[in-house]
Amino acid sequence: MSLARPDGAPGAHFADLGVSAGVLQRVMNAALSRGGDDCDLFFQHTQSTSVALSDRKVNQVGTHVDLGMGVRVVVGDQVGYAYSEDLRPEALIAAARAAAEIAQTTPGRTAAVPSARPVTDRTPVQRPWTDVGIDERVAMVRAWEQGAFSRDKRVQRVEAYLQDAASIVMVVRPDGRLYEDYRPMTLGMLRCTAGQGEVRDSSGHNVAARAGLEFYDPGRQEHLIQEAVDRTLFLLDAGKPPAGDMPVVLAAGPSAILLHEAIGHGMEADFNRKRTSIYADKMGAKIANEHVTIVDDGTIPNSRGAVNVDDEGNPGQCTTLVENGVLRSYMHDEISARHYGVSPTGSGRRQSFRHAPLPRMRATMMRSGPHSPEEIIKSVDRGLYCVSFQNGQVNIGAGDFSFYMRQGYLIENGRLTRPVKDVNIIGNGPEALARIDLVGNDMKLDEGGWTCGKEGQSVAVSQGMPTVRVSSLTVGGVG
Amino acid sequence: MSPTDTTLDLEAVAANVLSLARELGADEVSAGVSSSSYSEITRRDGRIEQAKESRSLAASVQLLVDDRFSTHSTSDLRTEALRAFLERAVAATRHLEPDPDRRLPDREELGLTDVDLDLEDTTWTDGDPGPRRRRAEAVEQTVKARMADDPVRSITAYAWDGRSERAVAFSNGFSFSNARTSFGMAATVSLEEPDGRLPEAWGSCSMLHESDLWTVDQLTDDLRTRALAQLGSRPAPSGRYPMLLDRRVVSRVLGVLLAPLAGASIYEQRSCLADHLGKKVASPSFSMFDDPLVTRGVGSRNTDGDGRPTRRRPIVEDGVLQTFFIDVYNGRRLKRPPTTGSASNIVVPPGDRSVSELASALPKAILVDGFLGGNSNPTTGDFSFGIRGALLENGERVAAVSEMNVSGNILSLMERYTTAASDPWLLGSWRSPTLLFDDVQFSGS
Repeated sequence: MSLARPDGAPGAHFADLGVSAGVLQRVMNAALSRGGDDCDLFFQHTQSTSVALSDRKVNQVGTHVDLGMGVRVVVGDQVGYAYSEDLRPEALIAAARAAAEIAQTTPGRTAAVPSARPVTDRTPVQRPWTDVGIDERVAMVRAWEQGAFSRDKRVQRVEAYLQDAASIVMVVRPDGRLYEDYRPMTLGMLRCTAGQGEVRDSSGHNVAARAGLEFYDPGRQEHLIQEAVDRTLFLLDAGKPPAGDMPVVLAAGPSAILLHEAIGHGMEADFNRKRTSIYADKMGAKIANEHVTIVDDGTIPNSRGAVNVDDEGNPGQCTTLVENGVLRSYMHDEISARHYGVSPTGSGRRQSFRHAPLPRMRATMMRSGPHSPEEIIKSVDRGLYCVSFQNGQVNIGAGDFSFYMRQGYLIENGRLTRPVKDVNIIGNGPEALARIDLVGNDMKLDEGGWTCGKEGQSVAVSQGMPTVRVSSLTVGGVG
Repeated sequence: MSPTDTTLDLEAVAANVLSLARELGADEVSAGVSSSSYSEITRRDGRIEQAKESRSLAASVQLLVDDRFSTHSTSDLRTEALRAFLERAVAATRHLEPDPDRRLPDREELGLTDVDLDLEDTTWTDGDPGPRRRRAEAVEQTVKARMADDPVRSITAYAWDGRSERAVAFSNGFSFSNARTSFGMAATVSLEEPDGRLPEAWGSCSMLHESDLWTVDQLTDDLRTRALAQLGSRPAPSGRYPMLLDRRVVSRVLGVLLAPLAGASIYEQRSCLADHLGKKVASPSFSMFDDPLVTRGVGSRNTDGDGRPTRRRPIVEDGVLQTFFIDVYNGRRLKRPPTTGSASNIVVPPGDRSVSELASALPKAILVDGFLGGNSNPTTGDFSFGIRGALLENGERVAAVSEMNVSGNILSLMERYTTAASDPWLLGSWRSPTLLFDDVQFSGS
């Protein structure tokens, strides 16, 4: 139960639902009827399917359909927003009039005839979910479960989940630009509970991409099973690290949650435009070690954070945020780009047609540096090595951020020793960035299904990082 | 069908979805249709920054087909689209493995508690943005005036209101509908520290009835006090301190105690409390209730997620665990009678001493009034959270603290619960006073 990639001309999918070019013009003219400077219409049609296994049964299936249009009217940096789930012309025009209320004058412009513009496809699908039966999905999650049980006798319970979704979106602007984009997504998740003597714990793994069934090749499925089991069994022997300040080495891949929380959010331009980010007024300043280069990249094929065209109609691209330690660019939507007199960076994203776009991250990554992971670990006398994470959060203005480590090791005399788990790590973003003093040569894009929340909107993101050393962070351990 | 159509009869729509699903082959069905209307104003720098109008209409169904269970939702209610959606839903369900525990509740289990919870403010009207705009403007201007001499970088003010309505129909004949309204206002202030940090404080009041809202002055005074208290924060030394847990943020810690009580966690063996029913899980001075029947309460309801009547129940009484949160499905799987699947309003009874009386008896303590990230593990009960707040000495605030973690295990923390202050928070679904715990692990400088 998924949407196929449209085979008609761009715009035809929604025209078939009654939204012709003439209707688009009428809706935009209603949006501009009180003197708005600009407007955008965002149409979205999403279908998703999930199957879930628990208690040795594939016993739940879910399907979800979302259809609607959001209309935004912009006057300077003021925004009026409304949406409709009903695509009949009169309902769309009513939403446009509600959004137009933000403006107070008379029409200054009228909408041009929409014409389709090209969109680069970074999310090709080889085995579309429309061709995959529920049976095939059921068999796959069943195989994951069997794989997990067969790996280790200590695995006692297994839950598995597979979701696929596809959205067709259309962005229309009064200057005549019309973009249609096809956005596939899939997430596979495996969770285990394991026991050993009196100790029991649960963990798992998930993998995600903007792709079809081909994503789950035998190697990927094997890896998902192995990681879910390994991450769970690891916890059975793990203790707690000591509490307090210490050097922290972050393993390549999922540790990029540090980038996302400590640095990424503060570089979203809306916080800077409002001067509430700790990075406001720092453009061009040296904020990190020379080995630190950070990009936010919407162009990685099939990645969860891949953006063909953003939700305002700007092409996805790779934005260099920090280059050799110097702050080079924020992530912009159109409002912030106009404020700063720069081009939008293709970062205007939204959860759905129910929300106005905001500057958001896509795939946030630190480039590889000169150091080997081994020499980074060896450089620490006493500290923490973090392997996997669950979640994080930041206060944009104060800069303090935290991230929750599921799995790690103590470092003693340059070697990994005791396994440790379940501690929160906290620090100050700019300080933590400045304290990254060794950068590994092993950058890895994490494969997990990360979701970023901001102002009540969730969007899919990717993140990646090489092994790095942060000279000091506060670890929430014991004693 | 359109949510702007005020004559729309949601019960009729739900009945229509139900009969269509039956016609297409579902054995048992529960169909829900909800509509909502919600408007929000955001102001900054003396003018409206964003005006948002939301009108929603969506349907969801739970289906049983040949002992197989599925859930589906859609916002595409065009007649032909709805039919195709339900056809696909029924067909997909047939591919599952049967699960005999997945049945809808029996008719006699379903019902509404016969109490008027007064969840709808009938003075709410859709259309006139005037009162909402004036409320946002009043919040912005009052905060600006009251904080004119404070190091304020930016003020953002919010006001919102809305109404949502839901109708649910079951194939066994039970049906109900309900509505609730919401009114609110909030502000964030961003302050400037000499070292360039810009700490932010958030003040908010959201109620079901407009007349229950705080005054703008109350909101402003409360926000200003908490904003200024954050200035100059830094980590306090690592160590074990008594913890005063502010009444607004109690949910973060007591939520660690609730998560392992969920029926699914118990069944999946992801609960550290599965064998603690009737046993001690906290100090004998601790009690906590689930009360769905609070008049005008944010979490109040007279029917639960399964459609069963609700009632007040003790969760922990005098330190002893009294109940799990077991819905109908997990009840069948666990072979236990269902209670209710999730918490409504959580009530912790207040004590008789004020926060300052409690604090003044403590040579050193940390007041926690905000959390930053962190998580907990329901399988083990371990938790670790980032915090901010204040270091207190003999009841005096000696420093604002931030960038610290609090860590431990929920059972050992609850054992060190001492007492509740006399200041219950009544604005949300967590209705608790400030709580005192002894000997808690903090990590900082």
